[in-house]
Amino acid sequence: MNPSTVDVGTAAVAAADAKQVMRDYFADLGAAAKDPARKVAWCTSVGPAEILRAMGFEVYFPENHGALLGATRVSAETIPVANAQGYSPEICSYLTSDIGACLKGVTPLSKAYGLDGVPRPDVLVYCTNQCKDVMHWFAWYARRWNVPLLGIHPPNHLPEVLPEHIADVASQFRRLIAQLEAITGTPLDPEALRLAVARSREATDLWESVLDTARTRPAPLSFFDGTILMGPIVVLRGTQIATDYYRTLLAELEAKVAAGHAAVPGERLRIYWEGMPVWGRLRQLSDLFAGNRATVVASTYCNSWIFSDFDPAQPLESMARAYLKIFINRDDAYKENYIERLAGEFGIDGVVYHAARTCPNNSNSAYNLPQRLAAKGIPGIVIDGDLCDLRCFSDGQSTTLIEAFLETL
Amino acid sequence: MNTATDPARSGSDATVRTEVFWGVDCGSAEIKVAAIDREGRLLTTRRCRTLFPLVEHVHRSLAGHGDELSAILDSDRAELPPDGRQPSLRPGHKVFATGYGRHHLGFVQGQLTEIKSHYLGVQHQLRLQQDYTIIDIGGQDAKVIRATPGRVEKFAINRKCAAGTGSFIEELAHRLEVPMHELPRLAAGHDKDLTLNSYCTVFSGQEVIKLLMQGERVENLIHAMYRSVVKRVLEMTAIDTDTLVFSGGVMNHHPILMPLFAERFGTVRTILAPNAQFCGALGAAIHGLNEESDDGLPNHQ
Repeated sequence: MNPSTVDVGTAAVAAADAKQVMRDYFADLGAAAKDPARKVAWCTSVGPAEILRAMGFEVYFPENHGALLGATRVSAETIPVANAQGYSPEICSYLTSDIGACLKGVTPLSKAYGLDGVPRPDVLVYCTNQCKDVMHWFAWYARRWNVPLLGIHPPNHLPEVLPEHIADVASQFRRLIAQLEAITGTPLDPEALRLAVARSREATDLWESVLDTARTRPAPLSFFDGTILMGPIVVLRGTQIATDYYRTLLAELEAKVAAGHAAVPGERLRIYWEGMPVWGRLRQLSDLFAGNRATVVASTYCNSWIFSDFDPAQPLESMARAYLKIFINRDDAYKENYIERLAGEFGIDGVVYHAARTCPNNSNSAYNLPQRLAAKGIPGIVIDGDLCDLRCFSDGQSTTLIEAFLETL
Repeated sequence: MNTATDPARSGSDATVRTEVFWGVDCGSAEIKVAAIDREGRLLTTRRCRTLFPLVEHVHRSLAGHGDELSAILDSDRAELPPDGRQPSLRPGHKVFATGYGRHHLGFVQGQLTEIKSHYLGVQHQLRLQQDYTIIDIGGQDAKVIRATPGRVEKFAINRKCAAGTGSFIEELAHRLEVPMHELPRLAAGHDKDLTLNSYCTVFSGQEVIKLLMQGERVENLIHAMYRSVVKRVLEMTAIDTDTLVFSGGVMNHHPILMPLFAERFGTVRTILAPNAQFCGALGAAIHGLNEESDDGLPNHQ
């Protein structure tokens, strides 16, 4: 989830102003939180935002806040606060960063967007398609602020997404809608849902096209640009704003491709980033790869907001399919095939696997996957780190590992 | 990082043929330097403790004393020039850096990782014609490098903690109040195979204390410490090889580790690399020489 106020310095894409889009988004959220006539829902980043949008909620994504805490390195001060309250250093550092920030009464949203604090929710909606930590995270807020807590519990780690899985989750969505209607006092307008799903589909298709521009040699954007540019697809899915933003961005990138613009001048190697970003080290890692004339041209992370299954003709079933099919919710064979396919499509020379200490669900190096892909001719290196907790990251060792890996390619 | 811009100071004057290639290996415990001539012949090696400011201590190592070969201009051998604190290289001398401190030496002509430098240092000296595996144990990391006669095929470095590295040995020696140089001799007097379980250097220290309290012999604990180093290294990656080459300062000072590794492999040829502690520095110098070769290939191995 993008911390859009962070400049990683590659400046591959500048004109399409993600920052302005995010400023407007947070300004509106701040206003909604203070307006008794408007309702704010908190939602997990790959949760059913379309339903919430269609029901008139303004939607806030705490994972975005976690990323912002990590990128600004405020996490270093807030994680220990949560640890001291019994939230282990071994669990999701978005959770510990965010809960610690709440306990400490700090948020980077104040400096970045002028908000007094995080927007207080009227309802908390999570989906465990990524992990169970989001459930524990939202439950803390539900207890603290006495706010309704609603959850979607999909089947996890699927080899295939089968009709019964889709029926299960669609059924859970229907129950969620009924619970939300009890909060809003207004029934869901099916047309509004279809429109939200249609907008999400259009935006996500455009986002995919944006990422696909990196198939070009040299790539016009890198993973590090992507972590900034992905902001609207995370927080503004289901709105026209996201669609308009990505249409502009895509046109800009296509022009860069036509002009032969390289995100990394003299691109020599093309790398796939597997796992979470190390938010507090985006710039350093971006510079490290660029200094070795390597472009990180594709990533599991940025691709996680491509939802090609959205279909306004079948809004709930297609949402169920899309949110079940995400990479993180699949078995290892799927993940192996997925990375192998992308390695071919993007001309990947090697994979950097980020083993994030507090995010085992989004780390894929612990079950022999790097070795299996290496046997297929896709070499990789594993670096230890974390999304937010820099206590788990060694600058020196990571630099040596990455540089030595690039030397071998 | 300061960057030298004066060719006379940086030794990068294109009109002067390079006669001496220096490698500097800035490790966590020691700075090692090695110099070679254009034929790849080793001219000198030197080492000193890693102290800070780093560049001052690298400068002293490169300068040497008295009649020693020096990379530094005579006028500046005694101390760093005040203008930017970067060493001033003699014409015809070039310096290449490796090790954790490699990015902090602004005056060098190139850098490379420890993986590549150790490989180049080993291969240059041994000229092996078959695939082999290097086990290098340094002050703060352990490396396993799968090599061919022409390149590094793959590698692994210890993850996160110091167990299996020189720091681990140093910490346990401190706990046991035994001088480092006494460790191999004492380990040879062991009469029991003990196991230290923990990944963690601190927790391993606690295990040692507990065993001492139970009356265990120091010799057995030191032997267990060495076995622990072997275990930590071997669990880093699967090693399938018939030739093991050892390099690095730890192997140099604790050769008892070699048979402990060998016994885990059945039939395996073991070689302690010549100048084991200087393989990284030598490799960095070889890298510099290769950079200048006409065809760009590592033809000095």
